[in-house]
Amino acid sequence: MHWKLNPITARKLKRFRSIRRGYWSFLLLGGSLLVSLFGELLVNDQALVVRHNGQWFFPAVADSYPIKWIYTPKEPRTGEFFGEARDKTGQSYSGLVNYRLLKKTWKAAGRESWLIMPLIPHGPDGNTFSEGVKKLSAPSGEHKHFLGTDGAGRDIAARMFYGFRIVMLFALGFTLMVFLIGSTVGCLMGYFGGKVDLLGLRLVEIWANIPFLYMVMIMVSVVPSKVGMTTRVLLLLFIMVVFSWTSMTYYMRASTYKEKARDYVAAAQLLGAGPLRIVFTHLLPNTVSTLVTFLPFTVAVAISSVTALDFLNFGLPEGTPSWGHQLRLGQEYIREKPWIIGSALTAIFLVLTMVTFIGEAVREAFDPKKFSTYE
Amino acid sequence: MKTQINLFTTAFVAMTLLAGCGKKKAPGDPKGDSSNGGAPVKVTKLAKVELDSVEEVRSFYEADPEFFRIKTTADIPTDLKWEDGSSEKVFASPKAKRGGTLNTFTGDWPRTLRFVGPDASGSFRQYILDSNALILVESHPQSDGYYPSIAKRWAVGADKKTVYFELDPDARYSDGEPIRVTDFFFHFYFMRSKHIKAPWYNDYYDNKKFKNITLYDTRTLSITYYKAKPDVVEKVSIRPVPEHHYEEIDEDFLKDYQWEFEPTAGPYEVLEENVNDGVAITLTRVPNWWADKKRFQKNRYNPDKIRVTVVREPAKVFELFRKGELDWHGLSLPEYWHEKLPNDSSEVMKGYIHKVKFYNEIPVPTWGMRINCSMPLLDNQNIRQGLHHAMNWALVNKEIFYGDFERQQTMADGYGKRSHPTVRVREFSVEKAEVAFAKAGFIRRGADGILRNAVGKRLSFTISTGYKRFTDVLTVLKQQAAKAGVELNLEILELTAGWKKTNEKKHEISFGGLNNSVELYPRFFEPYHSYNAYKEEGDKLYNADGSLRSGITPKPDTNNATLTADRDLDKLIKQYREAEDLDEITRLGHALIQRLHDHAGYLPAWSKPWYRVGYWRWVKWPDDFNVKQSRDWDEFHVHWIDPAAKEETQAAKKSGKTFPPVIKTYDQYKLKR
Repeated sequence: MHWKLNPITARKLKRFRSIRRGYWSFLLLGGSLLVSLFGELLVNDQALVVRHNGQWFFPAVADSYPIKWIYTPKEPRTGEFFGEARDKTGQSYSGLVNYRLLKKTWKAAGRESWLIMPLIPHGPDGNTFSEGVKKLSAPSGEHKHFLGTDGAGRDIAARMFYGFRIVMLFALGFTLMVFLIGSTVGCLMGYFGGKVDLLGLRLVEIWANIPFLYMVMIMVSVVPSKVGMTTRVLLLLFIMVVFSWTSMTYYMRASTYKEKARDYVAAAQLLGAGPLRIVFTHLLPNTVSTLVTFLPFTVAVAISSVTALDFLNFGLPEGTPSWGHQLRLGQEYIREKPWIIGSALTAIFLVLTMVTFIGEAVREAFDPKKFSTYE
Repeated sequence: MKTQINLFTTAFVAMTLLAGCGKKKAPGDPKGDSSNGGAPVKVTKLAKVELDSVEEVRSFYEADPEFFRIKTTADIPTDLKWEDGSSEKVFASPKAKRGGTLNTFTGDWPRTLRFVGPDASGSFRQYILDSNALILVESHPQSDGYYPSIAKRWAVGADKKTVYFELDPDARYSDGEPIRVTDFFFHFYFMRSKHIKAPWYNDYYDNKKFKNITLYDTRTLSITYYKAKPDVVEKVSIRPVPEHHYEEIDEDFLKDYQWEFEPTAGPYEVLEENVNDGVAITLTRVPNWWADKKRFQKNRYNPDKIRVTVVREPAKVFELFRKGELDWHGLSLPEYWHEKLPNDSSEVMKGYIHKVKFYNEIPVPTWGMRINCSMPLLDNQNIRQGLHHAMNWALVNKEIFYGDFERQQTMADGYGKRSHPTVRVREFSVEKAEVAFAKAGFIRRGADGILRNAVGKRLSFTISTGYKRFTDVLTVLKQQAAKAGVELNLEILELTAGWKKTNEKKHEISFGGLNNSVELYPRFFEPYHSYNAYKEEGDKLYNADGSLRSGITPKPDTNNATLTADRDLDKLIKQYREAEDLDEITRLGHALIQRLHDHAGYLPAWSKPWYRVGYWRWVKWPDDFNVKQSRDWDEFHVHWIDPAAKEETQAAKKSGKTFPPVIKTYDQYKLKR
């Protein structure tokens, strides 16, 4: 299908590109997100490439999305599979192999087999006790724990990395849903006006006055314990959306009021288009500039809310790599291990700053005063 | 440690409480001989007890003449062997100094000053009841014997169920009223009242366990327990409830006495003017306390005041302690001992704050995993034994607990000779776990390293817990268990939600700790008898061959969280409960521990045969620091405050003067294995 950018949109994008700190933030953040989607190849305790007995293995690839969903090896890659009968502690090595240790063992024994580990050779869940690393250890290059380890001996850098992926995906999902609900309700109120608007606006006002944080806390704490991890994350997302969509409605309602008075809407009505068609194919695209300017700020709100909720223990389930959990740990050891809270705060600061720069640039670029023309 | 070891309780806390509940009153107690022990003497002739209770209370007594009885001095058996604890050693230090204020804290403002009823079992209660109230006869914290308290002498009757007590004529409440034998009648009236809204006490003190209380004269009474037991003295040692204070209990009890401090026979009282709402409560020493000079109470309860400040945030508690505004802080948690107040921190190096590790000998709280034997796969003994071998507690201890803890061996450690001498917990071993799982049909590993059986079912279980602070422990166990081919899913809940799940018996594996009261021998009925596992009993529960029937219903709200139900075990537990002789109890107990070890429903985690505390150098201690059976440093009040040392330290803090650092371990009571 062939499509061309609307010249106004093209101009807006050009303007966005010219606001350099916003544009670079966008590239950097977008790039990081893209990279994190393939994070299993960068930060993982699975080897990238293994050459053993004339065979090739790619465990990290098999561990990454979406390959994970479609392919599983037929037999487990245990220590025995790679020819090791006992592990370092003398236990039978019938469990999954530890590639970091395997690499050392092969090297020490001068075997022909070899393997390459990712940049950070740690997963978000594993510990390195058997390699002599203590819990809450300081950052060290020797074991490639670049930000040290946490209370369970897990690599903080790996947890921050996967925490970034989770919080970004969460924030994007949140933004998408908030926009979908908020703009639909707002547009409908604006388009129909009259009693629908009057009643709808009152309901929205009431709903908006329910304190968001408290409600999320209450709802999360009554989630039955049998609910699984993934469902809990989705439920948290859902609960947050339910109590956050209202702010969008006001703006969309106003824009729709403004737009529906214009001739193309009357023309569409004359041609017999129904209200839904008018709202979604004519009004929505024309009010999109309002939407877009709010986008980065909604993302920022989502990131800070979910981090705050995690910090207070009402957010993502325990065990999920999360910045809020990292902050809590850091606060606990603020005196003794300042690098923990330092790294968490730096990460949050950087991401939120970039999001804000993007937001400013978008607002500037999409400023209607510069582009709107009224006949 | 109070805030640190937050063991879940309901029934168990109430058990420890019991040991602090009971005294009697005798109207118009005449002054008698006030001997401080010594050889048993002939009972002095005293007046027969006249009840002066109000109508309601009197009719309560009259409704149960079998239980409440009044006799005469002549009815006391003459062949009783009276004891007065004079052969026991004094455990307080003669160096102790009276005076000063102990500054301590509690995590939340107490919701009531009542000792019983809703909200009464909060953490503040220990100050006013558990380590303050006196009972008839106290267990000696260094031996298996007893020492006199409100009763100055006692004797066990020929039936070994009845204990005779003679009250100390000096015994007084904090309001100056004498303690009367009738206050022990009133104790049962009080504890059985529906208006106190305490069903556990209602149940505990009903006719099932307590068979009779008889008043012989204004100073002598006897209480009869339902069966003969070697420790019957402590079973029936109750606290007096001051009848003159309550007169009767009605439906307004909770409201009327919410903030009313019950006059106590103990050393500290709460006066109305010392309740600073929401901020602090100060306990003051009862003026001219009656037991001040008694042999076993002397040189204890030394500070004039105990100021309990409410500090809600644990991090703030610790900061206040480091500033010297609180006199002590528990250091039992490894993070505190090793990370937050390490030996080289400045307050320790300068000798301002002392660090002490004290080995005690008390029944070990059962921190461990309770495997729900009613769940599929977990009903298989091989799977349970495999799980034991799949848990790497040694690594957890080494890496998470800095090697501080010891491994708990059985469900009944710390009972001296009653604990099993040879049964040892199963160690972490991938091979042994695999052998056990293979017996249950789990032989092949999947691509994820988890074992599967012939029909492809994965060996995967969920561990539920309400202890967020042990998330790291479970995380490490989970990784290690995967080596043995088991997947453990972690379900970390809020404290109450975690225990609710276990109490409803909906867990697969529950992780947590239950406190054990300091007792002579362990209990098996509550945690391991089928009565507490299923609603069905007898033939409705068991098939003819002893296996469990299908369609049976787990019983909620009991301590049998492993859902252990085994006909032979039931028989053995019955024998154990009926045994009257300590040797017999020991023999049967060992047999039970062995069987339960084989059964493998309970997976022991760690034991901590010590406590650790950090305190400012003005808190002083006996030469051997504390008593053997102390759970915590302040339980027996053997410490004292040295105001001179406090001034000296505060001046030193300003001038930079230092003292030799004190980091000590007292291991005289450490068990040698």
